[in-house]
Formats: sequence, C-alpha cells, structure tokens
Amino acid sequence: MTQATLEQSQAGVQHETAGPTHLLKAGAVIVDDWHEWVPSPQSSEENGNQHAASDHFPPDEPHWIVPLSFWLKNEATLRVRQHSVGIRVDPADDPFDLVTTAPDTLDPTGIALIAVAFPNFNDGRGYSHAYTLRAHLGWHGELRAVGDVLIDTMFYLARCGFDSYAVKPGHDPHAALDALNTFSQRYQRGYTEVATAPRR
Amino acid sequence: MYLYDKVDQQIVDERVAQFADQTRRFLAGTLTDEEFRPLRLQNGLYIQRLAPMLRVAIPYGMLASHQLRTLSYIADRWDKGYGHFSTRQNIQFNWPKLEDVPDILAELAKVQMHCIQTSGNCIRNTTTDHFAGIAPDEIVNPLLWCELIRQWSTLHPEFAFLPRKFKIAVSGATHDRAAVGVHDIGLQASTQDGEIGFTVWVGGGLGRTPMVGKRIRAFLPWQDLLTYMQAILRVYNLHGRRDNKYKARIKILVKELTPEVFAQEVETEWQRIKDGPNKLTAEDVKRIESQFTWPEYDVGLADQDDPTDGIAQDNPAFASWIKRCVHPHRVPGYRAVTLSLKATGVPPGDITSAQMLAVADIADKYGFGEVRVSHEQNLILSDVPSRRLHELWQELKALNLASPNIGMLTNIIACPGGDFCALANAVSIPVARAIQERFDNLDYLYEIGELDLNISGCINACGHHHVGHIGILGVDKAGEEWYQVTIGGRQSGGADQAYDDKGVLRAGGASIGKIIGPSFARDEIPDVVEKLVQTYLTCRDSEAERFVDVVARLGLAPFKVGVYGESDRTHDKEATPA
Repeated sequence: MTQATLEQSQAGVQHETAGPTHLLKAGAVIVDDWHEWVPSPQSSEENGNQHAASDHFPPDEPHWIVPLSFWLKNEATLRVRQHSVGIRVDPADDPFDLVTTAPDTLDPTGIALIAVAFPNFNDGRGYSHAYTLRAHLGWHGELRAVGDVLIDTMFYLARCGFDSYAVKPGHDPHAALDALNTFSQRYQRGYTEVATAPRR
Repeated sequence: MYLYDKVDQQIVDERVAQFADQTRRFLAGTLTDEEFRPLRLQNGLYIQRLAPMLRVAIPYGMLASHQLRTLSYIADRWDKGYGHFSTRQNIQFNWPKLEDVPDILAELAKVQMHCIQTSGNCIRNTTTDHFAGIAPDEIVNPLLWCELIRQWSTLHPEFAFLPRKFKIAVSGATHDRAAVGVHDIGLQASTQDGEIGFTVWVGGGLGRTPMVGKRIRAFLPWQDLLTYMQAILRVYNLHGRRDNKYKARIKILVKELTPEVFAQEVETEWQRIKDGPNKLTAEDVKRIESQFTWPEYDVGLADQDDPTDGIAQDNPAFASWIKRCVHPHRVPGYRAVTLSLKATGVPPGDITSAQMLAVADIADKYGFGEVRVSHEQNLILSDVPSRRLHELWQELKALNLASPNIGMLTNIIACPGGDFCALANAVSIPVARAIQERFDNLDYLYEIGELDLNISGCINACGHHHVGHIGILGVDKAGEEWYQVTIGGRQSGGADQAYDDKGVLRAGGASIGKIIGPSFARDEIPDVVEKLVQTYLTCRDSEAERFVDVVARLGLAPFKVGVYGESDRTHDKEATPA
C-alpha cells in the first residue's frame, strides 16, 4: 500500500510514490497495485450531495480502498460501481458499523475486500476487528492486513482470519510467507487454522 | 507436575526457533530496534542498567527438581552464578548476553520451560497460591485451571498486543494467597449449588495507580472460564487506552466506564461466544488433569511415629522454624515447608546456583521432586513427611535457607531496585538489608508478629509496596534517592472481614496502603520502621491484633505522631502522593 502525500490527499488523488509494496495472497508474493483513496475534506462535507459526488470519488477502476467512514457516507453509490472497492478499517473504527441490514450480518455487495490497518504493529485492535469480521459479521471475502505488517506478526494475523497481507517495506516478503508456518500447533480454538504450506 | 505432550513441546521449540531468527535479524540490522523491542520483551528479555535481563516463566510457580538443576546450569554458564525469584513466580537472570539468549531458551526448552510472555503488553504468566494442590482449605485445585489458562493465553493470536501488560491470578482456596484483588483478572474459586466456578475480579493492580479489583461476576461456572475471559480481553483490547501508557491498564478502563458498564460490555460480547468452541468440557479438564503427575502419598504416614514435637520441645530454634516455616498439608502426615530466601544480607529472592542444586536434591530426598515458588519470593517444598522435619531443618540451616521469618517483618518482598533495574529511582536491596539487620533479634521479631514489609525501587511497584502492611517506595527528588512510607496495605482478597484466633472481627480484603507523610532519606528508614513498630506495640489490644489490624482500627494518626512527633511536618506539601 502506497501512502498518500499530504498534497495528494487534499486533492483526492493518489499515485504510487515509493517502490512497490509486496502483497502476499494465496501463498504467492505479488506486487501490491492497490491504492488508498484519501477523501478530500470537501467530499466528506458534501456527503449525500449526489450531483457533486463524482469529483470526490475514486475513479471507477479496480483496486481502490476507501476508509470505513467514506464507505458509510457513500455506501449506496459505492456498492453499484462496476469495480468494487475495498474498505479500510482503522484501529478506532467499529466493524459493527458495517452492518446495515440483517442483525450482525454484513452485506458483501460491492465490497472487494476489507483492509484492516495496523498503523503500528503494537496496536492489537486490528486482531479483534479481524476476529469480529470473520466470526460475528460473517465476512467471508478477502481480509487484508495493511500497514505495519511484519514477518513476526504473520502467524497471529493468519490465525485471526486474514488471508492477504501488504507486507511492511523492509520485511522480506518471502520470509513473511514462510512465517505463516512459524508454529505448527496452537492452543486456542475458534481461530483460523493456518494451512501448513511447505517451507522454502 | 504438568508434563508436556508433543503439542506443548513443539510450540516451545518453535518459539525458540522464532526468537533465534528475530535475534539474528536484529543483530544483522534487518529488524529495527523499535520492531525488536516488543518482540524480545514478549520473550522476557529486557535491556537493563548493566546487562540484559532474562525472565523465565515458572507457570503457577511449579518447578521440578530437574528444572531447578537446569536453572542452576544456566546461572553458572551464562550468568554470574545466581538467579532472582520475582514476585510473579518467575526467575530472572541479570547478566546474560543478548546473543546467548537463543541458546538459553533452547536449554530451557529441553526441560519444558520457556520465557514466553514473561514481559510485554500481553497476557503474562498466570500466578496462584503457592500451596496449590496441597492446601487444606482448597475448594478446587488451581493448578488445573492455571494450566488451562496458560495454554489458552500462550501465543493467543488476538491478544498479543494489548494496550498494556495483563496479569491473571487464581485462588482455589477459601483463604486467598494469590492476591486476586490486585490483578487485572483475579479468579477466586467458589461453589454454587454444588457446581464449581469462580468469582471474577477485574481491574486490580499496583503500579502508578494502585487499585483493588472490582467484582464483576459473583459466580462464573467453570465451563465458561475461557469464553468469559476472552470477552474481557476483547473489550479491553478494543477499548483500553493506548494514548498514555500510564492509563493503559484495564483498571483505568474499568474505572472510566464504571464496573457496571464494563461488566455489561463484557456480557454483550460474551453472549456472542459463550457457547462457542472455547467453552470448556469435562474432557478438557480431564485431559489437563491426566497430564499432571500427582504425588503418590503414603497414606499410612500419619500412623507412624513422629519425633518432631518432642525435638521441638527441647530445641527452641527448631521450634521457631516449625512455627514460622512449616505449614499444614491436606494429606495427614505431610507438611509444606518454606525455604526462606530472606536471610539477612542476601538480596530478597536471590538464590545461588549451588543453592539451586542443593534444593533440587532436597526436593528429591524429602518430597516428590517438586518445588513451588511463592510470590513472596521464597521456595516451598510441597510434600515433606512431618517425621523428617528435623532432618530437613538441619540440612536447610547449612544452606542458609532456614531463616525462621516467614510472615515476619524480615521476610521482605523487594524488587531488584536501582542496583540492577534501569527503571528504579532508588535502591531496594540495601534498604532491605538495613531493616533486616535492625530487626535481627528473633524474640523481638516474634513479639511484633505477622507483618508484611514490601519495598519497591520505583512506582512500577514490582516489590508490591502498596499491599505491604508497611510499604516502602523509592522516589526520585532532584536526582536524590528518597523513600515514601505507606501503611495498612493488605494483599489478600476474599472476605472484607474475618475473625482472628481470639474470635475478634478484623478488617480483611485487599487494600492499598496509605502514605504516612513526607519521604525519608535512606539511612532514616530503619528508624522509621522501628517507630512504626513501637507505635503498634503500644496501641494493640492484644497479641492477636496484628500491625495491619491496628492501622485499620486507628488509622494513620498515631503512627504519624510516632514517626514525625507532634510537629506539623506531616502537613508538609510533600505529603501528597507521588
């Protein structure tokens, strides 16, 4: 995931600025070509204004991720795009906000993935968010860890239900993939059983 | 003793491999200091004032003799020939080299030991009664429940990065010896309609903001133990403060929400998971039970001749030791024996490698090869035949492990303090020594009776000063060491009031000590303790009224006068809590 510069954030556009972040998905290392949409302050204020909306939305292209708050304000519009967006859940967010229909069940329409952010790997709220999304809200789609995603936290992340990972630059993505097998046993029930892949 | 199965062993072995890789990456520069720090802490490795400090878990304080021999070997090979038992039933080595730690962990893994989660913002080693499994007043055997909690909390994927450290204590007996009132979660065994369960206390703790825990559930059936704790931890993980480390413990969350609202949040979460996969079954408990080896007691022992009382009548020193260091056992003919690590002049809780080997041999010779570590930083031989006590005493005396001071003023709990710890404001060990030297007359010590004296070198309160009947806290004032004195702390939770031996109702329950007034210089401390003791002796209604009972009955006033005199030094601005 490429971080937006401040200017780009304010303009509501985003370009890749640094080297590629690696994405681990389905046992493979691929280049992360997802973009984080940082809404301009304007679009937040004009929530509900259908005429002005288009300028303040990510283009209807693949691989855009929007913050949960943006999704909640623009859900109707975002759900009917040709290219579904991802939703970013930050530590202070409440995933239960995603529930709009049946009690405690999340409607997956128009959601490409849910990205749970770890601004710092020491902040463990994202683990509980992942558990909640999987166990309580019935999210079966892609669940991605983004941000401070280390080799050293891969196993825990996988156990909490993540199935894709934007690895922190500086952490060898292949070593991160191997780290899914750090432990071959576990004590806790009710968390994802990590499929054991052959070690390198 | 719990014996690892293949799963337990594999997890510990894989943890060793993981940490070896992390250390290698750190030394190679591919893991930053900022990244390595929380990872090494979760393996018990601190960077201290003089060297790294490695904290080894002793789950619920149980050690086998062969494990003690390995600790002795580690102390000799990688440390300076000694170890330090902490107040959380762990052992600490103060001098290992960072690059040796993976090898130390591998050595520990060979004897089913580890350093997992002995530090860091995660669920720490679960502690319990040092008489677990042998106490006559036991409702349930806490060892089983502690091991269940150990397994559940080990490498828990959701709760590895909590807002702050998290400590769980379990008491299985009617008398709480696990200090459940001053833990993040305290579990007190109880029964209801013939069913076993736990009273759940949350949000107790010492440190900067000492608090006694709040009871959020009067009775939790045992089947729900893990799911209920999972709900507590989830609420805390999501809502505990992360903006200020001094306000990040669960006690602050419980206080800010109020215990009622916190309990309701837990209840809401618990309803979603209570009948889920972590609900315990009889098979789960049976499986854990079957992995313990249980002592094969000699049921005929109580019928054999026991010379102990006769010897004690003619030998006052032996009688003193019996009175202070020997404790009842649920099996007739057996006793539990405390090996005091509080000999005058020895840092409280310290043990040499030679003593470790000797204690291991004694545990084999006089018991079933098991030793317990107490949170008061002593060792317990859990299953000693009463008829062999005199023989044992003679061996312990030769090892300087027979100080008859358990429960007495000189059984001081102290953290390593400024001599070792980078956090400390002041030294602890020399203060402990000075007090022990002042009270080295045993007759006087026994006249004073039961008195817990605890010393912490800083506000982190590793020496549990808040719950000492007398607590001493090192504080820093303009770069100088000063000591603040509190009185009236109590460590045991449980009943708010209880009858003493004479049938008098005394105050009970965990309690945080109160500051008596302005702080003191280090060399004033023995005099201050002496004055507090003199005040107590003057004020007590009988020998049955302990120091802490007098504080509860009369408050601070007579003690302030006793220490500061009638002057108004007590109204000094320094009297405000640090």
